[in-house]
Amino acid sequence: MKQNVVGELEQLRASARERVDAAGDQKALEDLRVGLLGKKGELTGVLRQLGSLPAAERAAAGAAANQLKEDIFGWIAERQGALEAKRHTALSDTEWVDMTFVPNPVRRGHLHPLTLILREVKAIFSRLGYEVALGPEVEDEFHNFEALNIPAEHPARDTMDSFYVDADSLLLRTHTSPVQIRYMQSHKPPIRIIAPGAVYRRDATDPSHGSQFYQFEGLVVDHDIRLSDLKGTIEYFARSLFGPDRRIRIVGDHFPFTEPSIGAAVSCGLCGGAGCRSCKAGWLEILGAGMVHPQVLRNGGIDPDHYAGFAFGAGLDRLAMLKYNVNDIRLFLEPDVRFLRQF
Amino acid sequence: MLISLNWLKEYVDVPAEVNTLANRLTLAGNEVERIVEQDVDFEGVVVAEVQALRPLPGSTKNQLATVTTGPAVTEVVTGAWNLKVGDRVPYALPGSRLKDRRIDTKTFLGVQSAGMLCSAIELGLGEDAAGIMILDPSAPLGMDLRTLYPRDTILELEIKSNRPDLLCHLGIAREVGAIFNLPLREPGLPKVRTSAAPELVRIDAPDGCRRFNGRLLTGVTVAASPAWMQARLRAAGVRPISNIVDITNYVMLESGQPMHAFDYRRLKDGRIVVRRARDGEEIAGLDGKTRRLTSSDMVVADTERAQGIAGIIGGADSAVQPGTTDIFLEAATWEPRSIRRTARLLGLRTEASSRFEKGLSPELSLPAVQRAAALVAELAGGTATKSTDVYPGPLQPITIEVDADRIDRVLGVTVELGEAASILGRLGFTVERKDRRLRARPPVFRLDCSIPEDLVEEVGRIYGYDRVPSTLPGARTPVRDLYVRAEVDETAREVLAGHQLDEALTSSLVSGSGTLAIAMPMATPSPVAIKNPMAENRDALRRSLLPGLLEALAFNARQDQGGAHLFELGSVFWKADANTVEQPQVLALAAHVPAGGADAAAAEVRSLQATLATMRDRFALPVTDFKQAEFPSLNPGRFAGFHPGRTGEILDGGESIGIVGEVHPEVVSQLGLPGRAVVAEVLFDRFSAAGRRTPEARPLPRFPGVRRDLTVVIQGKIAGRDLLQVIRQLGGYTLREIYMVSEYQGPPMGAGARSLSFRLQYQADDRTLTNEEVSALQQGIIDGLKARFGAEVRS
Repeated sequence: MKQNVVGELEQLRASARERVDAAGDQKALEDLRVGLLGKKGELTGVLRQLGSLPAAERAAAGAAANQLKEDIFGWIAERQGALEAKRHTALSDTEWVDMTFVPNPVRRGHLHPLTLILREVKAIFSRLGYEVALGPEVEDEFHNFEALNIPAEHPARDTMDSFYVDADSLLLRTHTSPVQIRYMQSHKPPIRIIAPGAVYRRDATDPSHGSQFYQFEGLVVDHDIRLSDLKGTIEYFARSLFGPDRRIRIVGDHFPFTEPSIGAAVSCGLCGGAGCRSCKAGWLEILGAGMVHPQVLRNGGIDPDHYAGFAFGAGLDRLAMLKYNVNDIRLFLEPDVRFLRQF
Repeated sequence: MLISLNWLKEYVDVPAEVNTLANRLTLAGNEVERIVEQDVDFEGVVVAEVQALRPLPGSTKNQLATVTTGPAVTEVVTGAWNLKVGDRVPYALPGSRLKDRRIDTKTFLGVQSAGMLCSAIELGLGEDAAGIMILDPSAPLGMDLRTLYPRDTILELEIKSNRPDLLCHLGIAREVGAIFNLPLREPGLPKVRTSAAPELVRIDAPDGCRRFNGRLLTGVTVAASPAWMQARLRAAGVRPISNIVDITNYVMLESGQPMHAFDYRRLKDGRIVVRRARDGEEIAGLDGKTRRLTSSDMVVADTERAQGIAGIIGGADSAVQPGTTDIFLEAATWEPRSIRRTARLLGLRTEASSRFEKGLSPELSLPAVQRAAALVAELAGGTATKSTDVYPGPLQPITIEVDADRIDRVLGVTVELGEAASILGRLGFTVERKDRRLRARPPVFRLDCSIPEDLVEEVGRIYGYDRVPSTLPGARTPVRDLYVRAEVDETAREVLAGHQLDEALTSSLVSGSGTLAIAMPMATPSPVAIKNPMAENRDALRRSLLPGLLEALAFNARQDQGGAHLFELGSVFWKADANTVEQPQVLALAAHVPAGGADAAAAEVRSLQATLATMRDRFALPVTDFKQAEFPSLNPGRFAGFHPGRTGEILDGGESIGIVGEVHPEVVSQLGLPGRAVVAEVLFDRFSAAGRRTPEARPLPRFPGVRRDLTVVIQGKIAGRDLLQVIRQLGGYTLREIYMVSEYQGPPMGAGARSLSFRLQYQADDRTLTNEEVSALQQGIIDGLKARFGAEVRS
């Protein structure tokens, strides 16, 4: 009898192990669990015989039976894990995507680089409370020249050779500065604007010159505006656009409509200021500026005894060329999608 | 402007570090564009004198020169023919070095040639390669040429147009002195007694000549100028010619005043007449070219004819040449506008004209003529005998006042009044200090200063803008403007880029006659002409963005980039009347349909319409709508360039504000564009004026709605807009939305038949709609469409 119970346990151990390892899915495994360990299960059946054993043997047989029960639980759990892993692997066999393959980006329209640079410029100045003002591209001589202290035969007109249109003394504006005059004529200080747009000069076309190009003008008029404010504004602008590590250099300059006049350069990002082929001794000239000439304020209807102002002007093409590494200004007006789609 | 450091050192102690000098000059507004170390690199070259010249037997190209360096006499073969006996020349001794080249004794055609005679370019002392460099006859024999020509550094400066006084070495020396607080050493002007001879010069055109100084010198000897002068001229980019001519150039490069020397004996009657040229009068210039003048050009003439174009170039007839004994030196102040106009019309800019057209001070000419006369006496012999000075309207000195507060307020930094006064003094201003005010009289050579701000600039740029702090204007933002900030163009760009259109910019300048005749219908028929175009194909302003975009499509197709979709937002130009040009902001779209023919183009028309409608929905425009364009039977008129069956006008409250449609296939093939093209153009100003639409939320439906489909087959050109109106009307208030599902033409339907499918959304706010009531509405619509359009309807 005793021999029988122990032998049955031995047999059951061997066959249970075999059957658990052979179970093909979760369902078979669950059925097996019930068949072995359930109320009417095989191990339960063996355990029932324990009562008939002598007390001395009962303890050892009981321990062996409990050990087997624990082992079977363990085998089932182990098999369950194996089956789960197999299920996952099987899914990847039937449903597999090559994740190393890079699809084409979603097709989108591309905005013009001058739109993008103007967006950056507008965002920087709008943080400083500037409004965008616009003016006509076909201008009169008063706003384009005379009101800006550039009378006929002034040498500055040589550098701003203009296109005249078939209408009384109207021309294509040679700079965005006439917007200064128009804005002062129609608004009282405080004034804080930028004025972007196309300008035209009779310049021969080459990689850095075109007869049509883009500028933006800035004008601030208020009580107590100083050159230090202009300097700070230029630094804020240039560092916002090109990066906080750039250095800014302010030099003397000359424009008929500002006094004093200054020029601003930013340290070259390629050589770090040491001097290279894309810069002038480590500096990139980015804008001309100055304190608005008292006569220009007067021409705009503003009393220079009570107000002062500063103005600045920069080439949007040039800023875009510097920022986006464009080496030929003519690309901006050549609507080649191979160029446009890079932005 | 080229500045020789060796020359500059005569007037001011130049700081040792040339980069520091260049940097400070740049900060002060005189940009140093380049620093060039003179390329002088030789050893063992000395001064020698040519004692004899004889042919080299067997050679037609070379000759044999006997030269002496003092004690030694040697023979050298030379290929140059500009030598004569007695000339002093640079002689590279045997064993000497010119850059990497060793010079030794060589044998030419059996003759020993010891060393080499050198040209200026071989020594790096000039650009002249034509012959052996002829030295000053006083150059000591045997002297090392490096002693005679110390190596020089040349600064290339960009001088601003308001500062012609800086186009000379003294001017730059004064700037250096002001920047580094160093004393200036101006050359002295010896007093030479001459008799006033007003009869020598007559001014017939006083409006063109502000001052005329002349001086007659007799008994001069024309020869080469001394080595030091030649070296300085070469360093400043001017070729030495002869002592007299070199002196006039030297004085200009020293003091900024251009000069001219006439051979006095060549002047008819020994008289100078300053007048306007006669129309068609010709003059042969020093450059060997003959030019025809007009009566607006100023000339310096004798009693017979023009001997020079005033302030621009001298005449060949009266040029100083070897053998000239009497010279007339001219230093005048010409009216800048006249010089500028003549120089531009003749296409001739010279060292003189570029100075005069910027406006020189009339106070420069007298010292210049004195300085030149002294140099002539010293270097070419001769005696100054007569002088003349015609100066009817002397310069009136001005005084500018500025107070300390003003300087501080404009610059935003406190500059000690003493420092400000010192800066102005160093720059040549006569300064008086009174309490907190400065009274400054500009130096006579400065015409660019007249208002207090000019003084502030002088103080600021020398004080150093690098010492000005960086601040931002006080935060008194003009709030008024911020309210109206409306980034309408950005909204449009966002929609268009989202619809896969790329943004292009095309030129505003177009060909007046060669541009495609296609535009939105309200554009003026002809473009605004440019009076002074640079090119024939850029002689007008665009009246529409469409031709430029269509050309862009063709351009891209040629680059193997067919199927481009582009948009542009920009100005067009419409001439309203003789004095007014309207400049509306216009938005245009253009899509290339490379394949698929008519059907694909029709689909593209729908696609652009959808894009426009999407954009419109972002703006606060009242209802915009599309209307079939009605082409006149014969001439397409304002719809020129468009497809007669596939063009619609864009309406805003019944008014046409643009156009959308297919480009006429003939126009497309004329462009060389394969396939078809679809475009749209609309007055963007209307969208800007309306501003962006503010989204307005409605409550979500509380009861379920009912969705029904409806397919309508119609015959002929029935407007979908009319169809929708009937559906909307009959559907009543519970018909909330009508979606267009599909549009189809073709088999199995017959020609002219079109099938339109809609999905209708019914919805009530207060109850759940029943199937019965929706069915009744649908039936009403079906019956209505049948009755009104003869439509065949399936529900």
